[in-house]
Amino acid sequence: MMASSYSAKDEDGHITVSGPGGAALRNKKPENTAFKQQRLPAWQPILTAGTVLPAFFIIGLIFIPIGIGLYVTSNNIKEFEIDYTGDDVSSPCYNCAENFSWNSTKFCTCTIPFQLDQPYESNVFMYYGLSNFYQNHRRYVKSRDDSQLNGNMESLKYPSKECEPYAHSDNKPIAPCGAIANSMFNDTLELVYNDPNGTNVSISLVSTGIAWWTDKHVKFRNPGGSNANLSAVFQGTAKPVNWRRPVYELDADPENNGFINEDFIVWMRTAALPTFRKLYRIIQKKNNMAPTLPRGNYTLKVVYSILKATDLNSVIWMGKSAVSRIRFKFFQVR
Amino acid sequence: MTWKSPVALVREALQGQRAREKDLRSLMSNLPYEGLEKGKQPNRYFPSNAIKTTKYSLLLFIPMNLYEQFHRLANIYFVGLAILNFIPVVNAFQPEVALIPICIILSLTALKDAWEDFRRYQSDKKLNNTPCFIYSRKEKQFVERRWKDVRVGDFVKVVCNETIPADLLLLYTSDPNGVCLIETANLDGETNLKQRTAVSGNPEFEPESFNGIVVCEKPNNNLNHFKCYMWVSNTQKVGAGIESLLLRGCTVRNTDHAVGFVVYAGHETKSMLNNSGPRYKRSKLERRLNIDVFFCFILLFAMCLIGALGHFIWLYALPGVPPYLVPPANGHLDSPNLSSFYMFFTMIILLQILIPISLYVSIELVKIGQIFLITNDIDLYDEETDSRIQCKALNITEDLGQIEYIFSDKTGTLTENKMVFRRCSIMGTDRTGSSSRCQKIDPYLEFFLALTICNTVVVSMTNNPLETLSSLVKNTGNILKCCKRKPKRNRTFTMDSDDQFQPSVKMEEPGTSGLQPCSLHAASLHDKHPLTSDNLRYEAESPDEAALVYATKAYGFTLLARTPDSVTVRLPSGEVLVFEVLDTLTFDSNRKRMSVLVRHPITKEYVLYTKGADYAIMELLGTPYAGIGNEKNIAAVTQRHLDCYAKEGLRTLCIAKKVVSEAVYKHWLVERQRALTAIDNREVLIMDTAVQLETNLTLLGATGIEDRLQENVPDTIMALRQAGIKVWVLTGDKPETAVNIGYACRLLEDEDLITCRAILDCTLEEVRRYNSDPRNVDTTLNISLVIDGRTLTMALSPDLRGDFVDLAKHCRSVLCCRVTPLQKSRVVKVIREKLKVMTLAVGDGANDVNMIQAADIGIGISGQEGMQAVMASDFAISRFKHLKKLLLVHGHWCYTRLANMIIYFFYKNVAYVNLLFWYQFFCGFSGSTMIDYWLLIFFNLFFTSLPPIMFGIMDRDISAEMLLGVPELYKTGQGEGDYRFTTFWVSILDAFYQSLVCFFIPYFVYQDSDIDMFTFGTPLNTTALFTILLHLSIEIKSWVIMLGSVLFYFIVTLAYSATCVTCNPPSNPYWVLQNQMADPMFYLICILSTVVALLPRYTFHVLRNSIALSPLIEAKHLDRLDPSMREEWMKEWRSYRGGGQVQRSTLSTPPSPTLENPVDIFSESLAVSDIMGDDFTLNVFGQ
Repeated sequence: MMASSYSAKDEDGHITVSGPGGAALRNKKPENTAFKQQRLPAWQPILTAGTVLPAFFIIGLIFIPIGIGLYVTSNNIKEFEIDYTGDDVSSPCYNCAENFSWNSTKFCTCTIPFQLDQPYESNVFMYYGLSNFYQNHRRYVKSRDDSQLNGNMESLKYPSKECEPYAHSDNKPIAPCGAIANSMFNDTLELVYNDPNGTNVSISLVSTGIAWWTDKHVKFRNPGGSNANLSAVFQGTAKPVNWRRPVYELDADPENNGFINEDFIVWMRTAALPTFRKLYRIIQKKNNMAPTLPRGNYTLKVVYSILKATDLNSVIWMGKSAVSRIRFKFFQVR
Repeated sequence: MTWKSPVALVREALQGQRAREKDLRSLMSNLPYEGLEKGKQPNRYFPSNAIKTTKYSLLLFIPMNLYEQFHRLANIYFVGLAILNFIPVVNAFQPEVALIPICIILSLTALKDAWEDFRRYQSDKKLNNTPCFIYSRKEKQFVERRWKDVRVGDFVKVVCNETIPADLLLLYTSDPNGVCLIETANLDGETNLKQRTAVSGNPEFEPESFNGIVVCEKPNNNLNHFKCYMWVSNTQKVGAGIESLLLRGCTVRNTDHAVGFVVYAGHETKSMLNNSGPRYKRSKLERRLNIDVFFCFILLFAMCLIGALGHFIWLYALPGVPPYLVPPANGHLDSPNLSSFYMFFTMIILLQILIPISLYVSIELVKIGQIFLITNDIDLYDEETDSRIQCKALNITEDLGQIEYIFSDKTGTLTENKMVFRRCSIMGTDRTGSSSRCQKIDPYLEFFLALTICNTVVVSMTNNPLETLSSLVKNTGNILKCCKRKPKRNRTFTMDSDDQFQPSVKMEEPGTSGLQPCSLHAASLHDKHPLTSDNLRYEAESPDEAALVYATKAYGFTLLARTPDSVTVRLPSGEVLVFEVLDTLTFDSNRKRMSVLVRHPITKEYVLYTKGADYAIMELLGTPYAGIGNEKNIAAVTQRHLDCYAKEGLRTLCIAKKVVSEAVYKHWLVERQRALTAIDNREVLIMDTAVQLETNLTLLGATGIEDRLQENVPDTIMALRQAGIKVWVLTGDKPETAVNIGYACRLLEDEDLITCRAILDCTLEEVRRYNSDPRNVDTTLNISLVIDGRTLTMALSPDLRGDFVDLAKHCRSVLCCRVTPLQKSRVVKVIREKLKVMTLAVGDGANDVNMIQAADIGIGISGQEGMQAVMASDFAISRFKHLKKLLLVHGHWCYTRLANMIIYFFYKNVAYVNLLFWYQFFCGFSGSTMIDYWLLIFFNLFFTSLPPIMFGIMDRDISAEMLLGVPELYKTGQGEGDYRFTTFWVSILDAFYQSLVCFFIPYFVYQDSDIDMFTFGTPLNTTALFTILLHLSIEIKSWVIMLGSVLFYFIVTLAYSATCVTCNPPSNPYWVLQNQMADPMFYLICILSTVVALLPRYTFHVLRNSIALSPLIEAKHLDRLDPSMREEWMKEWRSYRGGGQVQRSTLSTPPSPTLENPVDIFSESLAVSDIMGDDFTLNVFGQ
């Protein structure tokens, strides 16, 4: 190909080499396409003050109404919060917190009076809140068996090892297993309206519709189908050690019992941050005339039987910041 | 098989080992042992001819490949982490899941390796099964076998146009002279024919009667060197060298068949030993990158330490055992110390992607893409040779953008290396004064005869009728042309002969009478035999030789045939002389000359014709007529002519002869024989004998050969210099020639100070003084340094080296003349090491190989001088001008692309990992993730990996036109370039800031709400994706891929959330994203955090683009103008940016005649173009 033999020349003495291949093969020539020659069209913005500042202001103007809307909405949200941790001597729940013991069969109840200055017009959401409760701890988050909660019979009998050490109790599998379920919040809150006329009206709290629809209907299922006899299905399993009742006695309503109990489902959705609240009940508006919660005095009755592991260490209440605090909260969205 | 004791086996193995390791091997024929079992074969210890170049075998592929891959530190790191994840106390994720990324990376690489190995296997198989002929004693003839059956000691017959299966010692050829021609294109790409001679020279060779023992050296990879001797009988031994060795892989040409004795087979053959795998060079950017990876490790360590400490403090402050603290399966909590110790490792697993796992793979992909685009550039394609640019080194593309010094060869690199015989000076001695013995030989005849004989050109007959026809057609064309030119030529000739003292005369000789008879003869001869001489084709090792032979042919001295023993020359008179060639003293770079010793057929004299570099000949001129001034005078005149030629940029050669008396010859022959058969020091001895004979030469004349500059060389050099690259030219030519070429190609300019071979210290002192002079602060001195080989040797000596480099630093360009290949590479090494700069060496010949390998980037030009340079190079181009686009455009692009991509990768990983890190402050440093681990993996492997890769391959910051038009833009990549220490840390800080924003805006939004972990993670993940992609979009131009990435993210995540009900505990992604996407809050968070996160970078870019304009940004602005406007801007811009120097250089024209436009004088001179196969040209002289 590159033999140094001269076989042709042109007028002014230029010598060209013509190899044996000659001009026949010209197949290596690259294709002249925009892609291969890197000539693809491209939009190339150059950011300068001249182009950016107008765009900046225009976008800013668009966002002003959005901001105003958001501000108004957030101002219309009414919130009322009561802390009933009981770490303070003056707190009504102090005695309960102090004397709490898992062994006692007696429920400790404390009543907390409070006053609402403004009526709550529409549906009211009742939350319980916990502070410094690390539901997002890695080991804690893992300590559950989703397949068991989905109604898998196999997993019911042989819980995942992730549930350890809350998988077995007295050689029986725990249902629901794991640390999350074991530590479930199980205070009972009741709300009583102290009517100015002297009667105490108990306010009805709706306990369904507080969990995600998909959780309740797809992800969480009772073993053995929807209308099985739960106590029979859960035969041979143990209740989580901290629980007072087995899982099939969580609620009288069969649609809200067992694994599909909404309080349970809500608890199982572990909170992202150590200070969180969870939806407890909904107070539904009854008629258009009266507000859902009129202004006035109320009493919050707390059946103090919560998860706090007080039996392990009673000093827990003495700390300040690292203590799990429990709050009760009203939240109303218009 | 008979049973052998293990001891015997071991002894056998040891013997084999010893036989292979011995410095000298004795080989004998296999034939007497044919049919015997293996243990009785004499040559059993040497490997067979079957080759295996595959790296892996089928069974061992996986372990071997893994072993290979784990040589990469990053892989070990990631596998270590995956294993760590299997330890229950420290694991952060499900252990199986953690294996996925490393498995994907490893299997991708393994697939690539397997494919490559399979291809090798196939080619091995094909090669091993190629048929060949081996002599069989049983059948008493050559029988067809496979290549793999060839053993050391076999006799193999090769026929014409067949590839040689193993290294053969040539014993017999069909040629009566015992010559075999081979083409070594497969080995070094050289297509010219090489001559090999049979050892015995015995025309009747019978393999069966061969009973000699061949003693040869241990196999080595030197293709041009082989030592061997053969005991013909018990007392007589015959030496043989490389000229008798047929190398495996070469092709037999022009020889019907040849028989050889296999000396090396299989992996021991020279071609296999030369087969080293692809070269691995580390680019500067990659070295920098490794430092930054190290910084990432430190960062990772610090973050993990913070995590572990945080966990300890958190545990310590806990008042008791809260219910969320889950003990391990045994029910007992670890102490805070222990669990924080464990937490350190958990954190490493969690934050591992801080070290970008996909970075190395991505870089490789990007480089493959870049190379694809470079090789497909139509501007780097050469029509003439139909060759594209070849990228041999796959991983140093970005170095092309950082070059500061270019070292260039001259011949074949700057010039075409197509030699044109331009001028000659024939030293006609006075007719009466010449020796009385050779009355009939006039000096011109002698001169041309010497030119014709003294070379190694091989004559090949072209029997292709088509070609003959075409050459005939061409001839007619030429005839017509020449007829037109005739009158003009005639006139100039007469004028020249009138004025002999003009340096530009074409024939520097005392009288014109001498030429006329020759020319006349030539003409008549050509009339007689036009066709036969046209059929000749000359295959020369160097283009100079070919040019000379063609030139002499034009004068009627036609080289008709060449065998090792004789040269047949047809004289202008039509007489055919057959010279007996007694010996050829081949060219070597130490002697810088070659000689042929012939016996004159008429006078029966022993004549030595020598041709070589002028200084090599001049110092050997004898003074037999010391008293007579004539001889000296001739030498002086010739020297003057030579200087003239050199000034015109011609390559000069001197021709000399010597008449050797018979006695001297006989004496010399003995020594020569001894040297030839010597096995130690053979080269030195042979050279000594050559030197011994080449003394007291008589000067015949000198030739000037023109080597044209390649097109656009001055342009390219100008552009490269404007780009801030210093161009050095290293050449073996004379300083005068070099300086002239330097002017022609704009390396030197008329206003330059040229420092020539001056005393180093003084010059340096002067330069320093000049620079320190306050008056000269603003002006840069344009110094060019011209230095010759001898001075260079001194300058490169350790004590002067520093000064030399110092001086060179001040020079704009440097010309090194008369340098040897070794010096070339030493210059490159010294500059590279002392100045710590990026160097590029470009060359085309074997003499540039050292230099090419010494430089950071070696570029080979596939030219006339074979492919050795190309084989050694990292990039192979076909023209010098391609260098401009390769460096200015592709270099710039590749560098900025890759640098930005790498920085982006670091940024991306740091930004993303920090989201997880900030979360640790809110989960008690427990190593929780709020993002599903699958999404975590996918985020890095799929969602965000493609845009930067595309960015790395396709992004164009500035258009090619702009980069070529304004070479100064190249300066941005030199030195530290885009990828600086600060750039890295700024982007890391930016990553920290962005991750803070991306984490804390959602944090404050969802604080004290009922958000659950993985729902909280969704907007974080989405925001991070938007931020990371939009961050890239500030730099990149193609948005399609980013939109694709976003869509891909949403589709995959939605599908995942929709289908995964109980899979992948504990993250429970079921319906999470769907829930979030139904919430307007999600969108607001995404918009807000993305905007806030990108604001600083955006602002920075806006400010930089509006206030502090860097050249690159200015160029970007210009790029948007339409072409005509751009042209004007470009001019204007360069006039103030480039400074006076650039302007001046564009205006000034070199004062000396450039080689590009030869002044009229050249057209009158004798040129091959005028001569070649051209009947009528020579008639001119007769008139």
